[in-house]
Amino acid sequence: MKTPVEVTVNKKKYKVEVDTRMILADMLREELRLTGTHIGCGTGNCGACTVVLNGETVKSCCIIAADANGQEITTIEGLSSSATELHPIQQAFVENQGLQCGYCTPGMVLSTLQLLKDNPNPTEDEIRHGISGNLCRCTGYQFIVQSIQDAAKRLSNGGQPGASQ
Amino acid sequence: MKYIGKGIPGKNNQILTAGKGTFVGDITLPGMCHLAVVRSPYAHARIKSIDTSAAEQVPGVITTITGEEIVRNTKPIPTHSSALGEKKFQFYALAIGKARYVGEPVAAVVAEDRFTAKRGAELINVIYEDLPPVVDAEKALEAGSALVVDEWGDNILSSRIEVHGDPDARIKAAAGTVRGDVRTQRYTGCSIEPRGYIASYDRYRAKLTLWASTQSPHSLRLFLSETLGLRESQIQVIEPHVGGAFGLKLPTFPEEPLICYLAIKLERPVRWIEERTENLLAGGHAREMRLAFEAGYEKDGRVTALKVRLLADVGAPSALCGWGMANVAAFLIPAVYKIPDVKVERITVVTNKCPWNAYRAYGKEASMLMLERMMDMVAERTGMDRAEVRLRNFIQPNEFPYKQVSGASLDSGNYQRVLASALEAADWSGFPALQASAKKRGELIGIGLAYELTPEGGCIPKSSLLSAYDGTRVQVSPKGEVTIMTGVTSPGCGNETGIAQIVADELGVSPDIITVVQGDTDTCPFGLGNSSSRSVIFGGSAAKLAAGELRDKMSRVAARMLEVSPEDLELDGGKIVVKGAPSRSVSFADVASTIYRDAFTLAACDEEPGLDTTRYFRHGNFDAMNKQPDPEGRLNFYSTWPNGATIAVVRVDIETGMVTVLRLLSVHDAGVLINPMLVNANLHGAFAQSLGGALFENLVYDEAGQLQTASFMDYTMPTAVDLPNFETKHEETPSPFNPLGAKGAGESGISGPMAAVAGAIDDALRQAGLSVHVMEMPLTPNRVWKYIVAAKNAQRGNPQ
Repeated sequence: MKTPVEVTVNKKKYKVEVDTRMILADMLREELRLTGTHIGCGTGNCGACTVVLNGETVKSCCIIAADANGQEITTIEGLSSSATELHPIQQAFVENQGLQCGYCTPGMVLSTLQLLKDNPNPTEDEIRHGISGNLCRCTGYQFIVQSIQDAAKRLSNGGQPGASQ
Repeated sequence: MKYIGKGIPGKNNQILTAGKGTFVGDITLPGMCHLAVVRSPYAHARIKSIDTSAAEQVPGVITTITGEEIVRNTKPIPTHSSALGEKKFQFYALAIGKARYVGEPVAAVVAEDRFTAKRGAELINVIYEDLPPVVDAEKALEAGSALVVDEWGDNILSSRIEVHGDPDARIKAAAGTVRGDVRTQRYTGCSIEPRGYIASYDRYRAKLTLWASTQSPHSLRLFLSETLGLRESQIQVIEPHVGGAFGLKLPTFPEEPLICYLAIKLERPVRWIEERTENLLAGGHAREMRLAFEAGYEKDGRVTALKVRLLADVGAPSALCGWGMANVAAFLIPAVYKIPDVKVERITVVTNKCPWNAYRAYGKEASMLMLERMMDMVAERTGMDRAEVRLRNFIQPNEFPYKQVSGASLDSGNYQRVLASALEAADWSGFPALQASAKKRGELIGIGLAYELTPEGGCIPKSSLLSAYDGTRVQVSPKGEVTIMTGVTSPGCGNETGIAQIVADELGVSPDIITVVQGDTDTCPFGLGNSSSRSVIFGGSAAKLAAGELRDKMSRVAARMLEVSPEDLELDGGKIVVKGAPSRSVSFADVASTIYRDAFTLAACDEEPGLDTTRYFRHGNFDAMNKQPDPEGRLNFYSTWPNGATIAVVRVDIETGMVTVLRLLSVHDAGVLINPMLVNANLHGAFAQSLGGALFENLVYDEAGQLQTASFMDYTMPTAVDLPNFETKHEETPSPFNPLGAKGAGESGISGPMAAVAGAIDDALRQAGLSVHVMEMPLTPNRVWKYIVAAKNAQRGNPQ
């Protein structure tokens, strides 16, 4: 059975018909072709599908697409307009090698966005807790933590690399 | 400006961070339909009948398929080498006659959308006759055990006894002996991107295209060609971005020929993206080994004899290369130590569990853990420092290349220097004071030390997957742009960046202007993809050779343009410059342009037009052994021999058995580092996977062969809060067998941390007066608590 869904994604309005069994992650990927949202487990454990729903990060594999009707969503595609004009958080990940295969990265970046919104100057421990809902299998998290420390500096410095870099 | 040795972020970082990578699941093709796989719910069952009629009546179901159709229309899936002496089996894309593990593909449905495909799969009615499952390797060896493969007569896939000297006599004569029974649990790599494939067939061109989350596109093409009966030129395998692999995406999985067969049959693109539960059930497992050892030592700490019985539970037979991990575990003994008399008995057993596939460290971790536990026990018995015991047993720096008793040919190393560096960085000798003050605070902390040997560049005779060569093509365009096409691939490990740095140095240009193309069998030279840290050492060396030829040709042309001798020129900063006269130069682009656009001018007329070279690099270190086994039948399986010392500090909660890793430090020798930042990145990832295996991860089967940990709810991998900040340092003993001196760094860091943590737990518990030697992984709170209780009970029963 199909049901109509109207959503605002990355400030753009979409009207689609989706299978009632479809999860939000699949709707973003298959219907809206926003494939930066990845699926790693389907059980809300890995965080690769993290998106921002009405200002808070959620795991989009655990939300039925139809339930997103009327809501506002930001995906990784909403953070930058091109690969050379990245959000300061993304730029910090790029320069600090806060990724390897890149599959968990969109979710990590969006969890970082949430973390730094809630706590602009997190300690290392707070950073580690802030991304503990996102699994990464490549990096051992260390360069991700460094990326987030750098991102915090960039954001408090108008998007520019921090002075202590 | 030189780029080798610089920490440059990955070339793909921008696109991946922007969320604009292209993974298999991101690709859609017109007319694409979807595959759902029907998997065996039983560990061991005879397939009596399969009724697909209900599924076929579902609107939207396009076709169904069972093993009967597969066996009629495809050939068996080949294994990668015929030289390993294992029992033979005919592998197909779907189970034939019997299902041998829960999750084995038995039938499949293709439908217009995923929901319909899954609905169809539910309606396929398979009648099974449940057979007693074989789930325990020891029991699998008992007479009268059920048989995984009836025709074999037993459950042994392969076995071998290697004896050097007379370990029995030496052990009897030794000053003392230590014994242990090391067990590594079944666990796996779990890349965050599961497997996935899209196959498409063009009947007019008779061409099959497969987009695959794979590590080895050319090998996969070869296997598909043999299975499907197509010519290689009829198949294009494309590896788009891959979201982690760690060995587990090496071919050939049943789903690979299955989806190709269906795409050809339907003449429509077919997609399959693995679900996580499927991945945990059928995506390849690893590690489940038991190593019972007995070693004899002298009073000065030298280990003189070692006997090991290695029992590996490799799960059901498969065409994957994973079961070879047991061979490597046996082959590596005694690694960095000079133990003259050694016996290793390896028994590789099949069971009704998921087949092994290759997983990072490929068996090395099991023998390292065993050897390091052994060294810790010898230290304890002799009252010597744990570092000192290792020093007394190491191969000496002046003995390389060193031929081990196993046949291993160790290229280079300075274990003494690496260990000394680690001890100093960790303040090893200052630790007891920290430990004492922690004890006063009521905290039990311990320190552990492990030495790992992580050979790379695996090479097996007659293999279409693992061999010590690869090919790279380097092109310079008329405008001076540089493109590298290589047979090695990068499922997220960064070798594209390292290879660009190597070529940048040869051609004197920035890596930023270099495009690296990988993972396309129609574009790239034949190569064996990514595994065993082979990409930089083979693909990078081939790139250096190819770029070197272009450099020489461009230098000759530039020399004529500048009216000097080619020897007087150097390539740097996008220019070809007269040495010592920087004002006299031509740009790299002008020379390229001359060669292409002015081929008949004086400067270029003696040169073959074009700037396009493919070179294959064959690694050294095999000449004597790999071409012809030595008189004892021994082979050397590896090109280079990275190694490192790991020191771990842990806190143990004696009430709960909870282990917290407080510090993890590693000094590593990967030879020459092409990109230290990416080497560290790889090491960090390995440390995390090692600690995951040491403390958390476990694939648990029940007695019926049902997997109890089939989602990330139950299969628990480390998160950021579970891991410390890692400390890394590097020592460099270049490999003499390749032009880079690099030894690879993809698997290092798996073996050391788990063994160091084990030693650190023992050390912490010693502070509580408990004598414990942890041998069984993973060291979950429950298991450590059991060790604590057993030690306390032993103490009560035996007050000495």
